[in-house]
Amino acid sequence: MSNQITVIAEVRRYDPGAAEPPQYQRFEVTGMDSMRVLDVIRSIYENQAGDLAYQFACRVGRCGTCAVKVNGVPVLACQEKCKPNMRIEPLTPFPVLRDLVVDRSEVEARYAALKLTPQRESKHPGKPEHISPQLAEKLCHYDLCLACMVCVAACPAVEERPFDGPAFMLKLRHMAAHPADSADRLEQALDAGMLECFNCDVCTQLCPADLSPAQAVRDFRKQMIFGAGERT
Amino acid sequence: MAEQPEVVVESADILIAGSGAAGMRAAIAGHDAGAKVVLLAKGPRRANHTRMSGGRYNAVSGGNSKDSCEAFYRDTVESGMDINNHELARVLAYEAMDRAYDLEAYGLAWDRTEAEKYYMSMTGGGTFVRTLGSIDEGIGITEVMLHQLHARNVTICDFHMLVDVVVGDDGRVAGGLVLDLSRGVWRFYRCPTVIIATGGTSQLYETSSGPAINTGDGIAIALRAGAELVDIEFMQFIPISFVYPPSARGYTLTEPAHYGMRHFDPNAEAAHLVNNQGERFVLKHDPVRKEGSTRDVLARAIMIEILEGRGTPEGGVLMLPDKQVFEAFLKERPTYIKRLLENYGEGQARLEAPIQVMPSALYTLGGVRIDAWCRSCVPGLYAAGEAAGGVHGANRLGGSSMPDIQVFGRRAGTAAAEEARARGPVAAGAGMARARARAAELEAGMSRADGIRPVEVKKRIQKLMWDHVGLVRSGPKMEDTLRQFREIRSQVLPSLRVTAKSRVVNREWMEAIELENLLDIAESMASSSLLRKESRGAHYRTDYPDMDPAWTANVWVKRNGSSLQVEKRAVVGAEATRAEAAPKKVVA
Repeated sequence: MSNQITVIAEVRRYDPGAAEPPQYQRFEVTGMDSMRVLDVIRSIYENQAGDLAYQFACRVGRCGTCAVKVNGVPVLACQEKCKPNMRIEPLTPFPVLRDLVVDRSEVEARYAALKLTPQRESKHPGKPEHISPQLAEKLCHYDLCLACMVCVAACPAVEERPFDGPAFMLKLRHMAAHPADSADRLEQALDAGMLECFNCDVCTQLCPADLSPAQAVRDFRKQMIFGAGERT
Repeated sequence: MAEQPEVVVESADILIAGSGAAGMRAAIAGHDAGAKVVLLAKGPRRANHTRMSGGRYNAVSGGNSKDSCEAFYRDTVESGMDINNHELARVLAYEAMDRAYDLEAYGLAWDRTEAEKYYMSMTGGGTFVRTLGSIDEGIGITEVMLHQLHARNVTICDFHMLVDVVVGDDGRVAGGLVLDLSRGVWRFYRCPTVIIATGGTSQLYETSSGPAINTGDGIAIALRAGAELVDIEFMQFIPISFVYPPSARGYTLTEPAHYGMRHFDPNAEAAHLVNNQGERFVLKHDPVRKEGSTRDVLARAIMIEILEGRGTPEGGVLMLPDKQVFEAFLKERPTYIKRLLENYGEGQARLEAPIQVMPSALYTLGGVRIDAWCRSCVPGLYAAGEAAGGVHGANRLGGSSMPDIQVFGRRAGTAAAEEARARGPVAAGAGMARARARAAELEAGMSRADGIRPVEVKKRIQKLMWDHVGLVRSGPKMEDTLRQFREIRSQVLPSLRVTAKSRVVNREWMEAIELENLLDIAESMASSSLLRKESRGAHYRTDYPDMDPAWTANVWVKRNGSSLQVEKRAVVGAEATRAEAAPKKVVA
């Protein structure tokens, strides 16, 4: 069913509070070739480096907290299959707490500032709210965003321009699609740098939840030119 | 004693431990009732068990005219084998729908068949089509709730682990001792109320479905603070989970795939389960409901096949899925189809080829004993959600944990806010000496040069629990296991070593603290399982294989100094009338 593999992993070690500069530590891990990157990291922690700082919780691609960079590409460690040679680094451009663990406080503050609750003009009716089955399905799909920050880490526009990043565009589009929301989400998207997106679609290609933040940007741009139309 | 570490003092009206839906719903209710709320997440706030759930939600929405709240209550108690706290079960049944509307008000969209008509299906064990859902909505439920907390500006502390609840000289909660794992700093939150919403303790088992953070911290903390546990001998195992790859072993394979057409029709058959001889072994255990039986029966039936050598080489049995439900499954659970495809293959993902499945520890049925407003017996200490016990009895209906965390999360937050207001702020200095002493105790592992790593001890406990206090139990094995737990406590815990010297995100230090919690619950589970000399629901003993009517009762666990006191007690509220179960005003 599965063969053995020995992988070489170079892990970025860094403690911002200590004097030593960042360094890459080399580990060899042998296991089943179906191992995920997280299996490799856990094996290193359990057998070779008890002082390694790393983060995971669900191990099945739902909590979104184990994201790292493998050979320069942001991925969910629990979903990415291991490779014979891997350089494993913390997700950029976020502040590192230690080793592979990043501080997401700024991300949460950004979400909070966008007020991502439906801005209701009237209260929920206390019975099923009028939402078409198709729109409900669409809202549910938007809801699958893990907030893992893989797309933000991969986005070339985030790196070069004043752009909050793809994940935030997706959430704003989610709210724009919600029938009870009365806020001007296009205005917010513009403020968050929506026009800086290159439309390269890297976010779509890497999204672990198979969502397309780039499409959200395209939808906002269409709305900017042609108007919002019906919420369907 | 080691040098006393510095403890930073903070304050709140309500301190909530746990960032899953129970904690978040308590925070919303507490904040809306005017309290200053601080919510602690042991990891990043999105690392919680609710998020891993499929989000199926049992509630009587009016969409099935034959169904009623009373029928939901009866299903809950029948599934719980009559030992549920009936009052809690009624509250669940009668309030679930209002809380489902709250979630929709927060921004969640339940699946629909028409603009104002919800899509409904069936899950494990119910007798009516009543379960609401939305696509993979454990994630959606936590997202809409999190944004509600953001909108209210509730303080959320990531990487903050509740270590102990400190009770003052007056016998009331004085605050919570917290380790800020992101900085390695001790904090004491002076507060009149603490809500335990830390979820369950599935990490006690070798193979489990939940997140790595579910080490039963809050349940153990409550026990140490003087609260009682109830039904802690009952651990729910999900019958249908992934067998491989190693990283996903034990993760729930969800019910639509298993339930087949029974997902929509109570009279239809569920997917057949066969052993390596092609035999439908479930028929031996439940010839009436067959594979549509409750989770406890199915999980045990599968485990017995595996233990007796009739499983697959990888340690599972085969489920023969019904491809008729593929389209519905794909719509409801696209992520699960993707996982089946990645881990098993296209035939399995299309529900055309046999799928290997195994049981896995899913849900802690017991927990902190609470009243209908989530109060424990310690004034100021509350519990809600998986950390609390009594709602589900000996077995839980699939789809009932989502309404549980909403209904009781809200009740805990509402009642705690009222108590905090009535009591006023805690006196400065109260509980500080105890908090400092406890922090000093937990610093010890950090300075020990030699010793045993926590991860090794955790694996030993997990193996013991899986083998002897899991699906198939017996008196002599549990007595021996209990002896080994006591030995670990006296011999091994004092010699734990933490490798890293850094105080920042020190996983081993966290695991060392978790170990004591795991061990507290492991001992409680083994002790209460020994006392219950019968088999019922999730609790099955080979030496007492039958249900005994004399045991239509609960087991309470309480700490008495350093030993556990285990007692048989009468079931609460079996005689309660429907009128009494209607929501009442909170009396602090």
